[in-house]
Amino acid sequence: MTETAANAIELKNTSVHFDNGDQQIDAVKNVDLTVPRGDIYGIIGYSGAGKSTLVRVINLLQKPTAGTVIVNNQKIQQLKPVELRQARKKVSMIFQHFNLMKSRTVQGNVEYPLLGTKISKADRHAKAEKLLKLVGLSEYAGTYPGQLSGGQKQRVAIARALASDPEILISDEATSALDPKTTKSILELLKQLNRDLNLTIVLITHEMQVIKSICHNVAVMDAGEIIERGSVAKVFTEPQQKLTNDFVETSTNVKEAIERITSTIKISEFKADQELMYFNFIGNSTKQSVVSELSQKYGVDVNILFANIDQIDGENVGYMIAIITGDLAGFNGAVQQMKTEGVKTRILTDETLKGGDGQ
Amino acid sequence: MNAIMPNVMAMKGEFIQATWETIYMTLMSAIVSAVLGLLVGVLLVVTQPGGILEDKLTYSVVDKLVNLLRSIPFIILLAVISPLTKFLVGTTVGTTASLVPLIFGIFPFYARQVQNALLDVDHGVIEAAESMGSSPMAIIFRIYLREGLADIIRVSIVTIISLIGLTTMAGAIGSGGLGDVAINIGYARFENDITFMAMIIILILVFAVQLIGDWIVRRVEHN
Repeated sequence: MTETAANAIELKNTSVHFDNGDQQIDAVKNVDLTVPRGDIYGIIGYSGAGKSTLVRVINLLQKPTAGTVIVNNQKIQQLKPVELRQARKKVSMIFQHFNLMKSRTVQGNVEYPLLGTKISKADRHAKAEKLLKLVGLSEYAGTYPGQLSGGQKQRVAIARALASDPEILISDEATSALDPKTTKSILELLKQLNRDLNLTIVLITHEMQVIKSICHNVAVMDAGEIIERGSVAKVFTEPQQKLTNDFVETSTNVKEAIERITSTIKISEFKADQELMYFNFIGNSTKQSVVSELSQKYGVDVNILFANIDQIDGENVGYMIAIITGDLAGFNGAVQQMKTEGVKTRILTDETLKGGDGQ
Repeated sequence: MNAIMPNVMAMKGEFIQATWETIYMTLMSAIVSAVLGLLVGVLLVVTQPGGILEDKLTYSVVDKLVNLLRSIPFIILLAVISPLTKFLVGTTVGTTASLVPLIFGIFPFYARQVQNALLDVDHGVIEAAESMGSSPMAIIFRIYLREGLADIIRVSIVTIISLIGLTTMAGAIGSGGLGDVAINIGYARFENDITFMAMIIILILVFAVQLIGDWIVRRVEHN
């Protein structure tokens, strides 16, 4: 029993069905989800997609209507109430609105999970102090949450979540009420905890930016189902579903850029030897000087209109929109060369003109 | 003083005793009602649909019982409950006997107020406590009663002030206290200064309760 399984969480064929009189809602439909130990797993979807309901199944705050839930090697649906409460201490949760107790000091909030346990008062104090130091709030121990900023409150909530030495941390839109700078610092903290404590993190969000900054794996949810999943790098570069593509393009600014470019330049006025192209490259291909190589080798001109390089799960991912000018042989050669180097290309000129056919 | 309030000055001793009786009735019935009211209020909150110990039957029975008791006018309750008073205290007159109707008159009201105060406790905090593995008892004592404390004190002040009002009505059936003095002596003998003095003392008691209560609320609230 001491042997730790490779997976922290396994949901098998899990469904949650709400029956509110004449309103029948399938919040979660036949979801299979496996989260490896030590992973940072993101679940993304618009509000109402069933993300919150799904993660609440993990600690049984929400009872699933069907399916099996295995957390830390335990089938948690079979646990007695006392055992379930014990199991919940190993699955901590942080929330969008922090959910701190306003009648307790910061120290009191962090000590809360240790109340009623065998830990002595002195040890409890020491542990809370240690955790507050970890989240960088030592000097606020005696303050009440009402006097803290949003980011500080979330740090207190994180310290409180860590007090019971959890193996899993569930983050329910924990950064959605925070400004971008604070969001970044909270995400950095989560990343650090994942690295230093080997904490498995399940994170739900509606922002791809969040997934991109810290997750290794991601599942995309829509209408109670997981419609796409995989490593963040893969989902980002090869999105299969339209919804996923929407999330990706919004977060990389590509969507906005394409809209801006196609509305400002008249593609119908392009010369025959001109094409508007979109390039997407991962990893090593960014290290070579693709652009200058193209002009030298194939005699095409590359006029870059938009370029962006992102770090996704430690890998470089580049996006570029450019006008390529050159004869057909040179152009085809150039595109072929890019393909062999792992660069994905898309001709936007065609798409835009096709889109305009109906007008 | 003798010129303005001749009758009051003639019965100083009775006034002091009546004031103590009012304080005694208020305090004793407040203590018992606090226990009963908190119990019932908490019971309503935890058994309500979606509560931490959801129980539809218990909730609907207790809810209806509270409504029923709250619907009986106090002056009628005083009379209706007298057999029970006789059984419990052995008599239906006097200060101690009046505690029975006072408790039944006020605790359902207090229970409802406590229920409302606890419903204001952020549901997210309850959910957080559940996610941290807190037992229902821990959630009641460490979250509901603690997070709701300032509101509970606020509704307690309102309740104690109502209770002072009820003790004067109990005076109508011979419970003693300031209400008794005001009606059975001041009003019956047309000695208006006595009625007036009784009112002044009651006002002082009410203000004192309000001031002390507000002071405690300021101490426990950390918004």
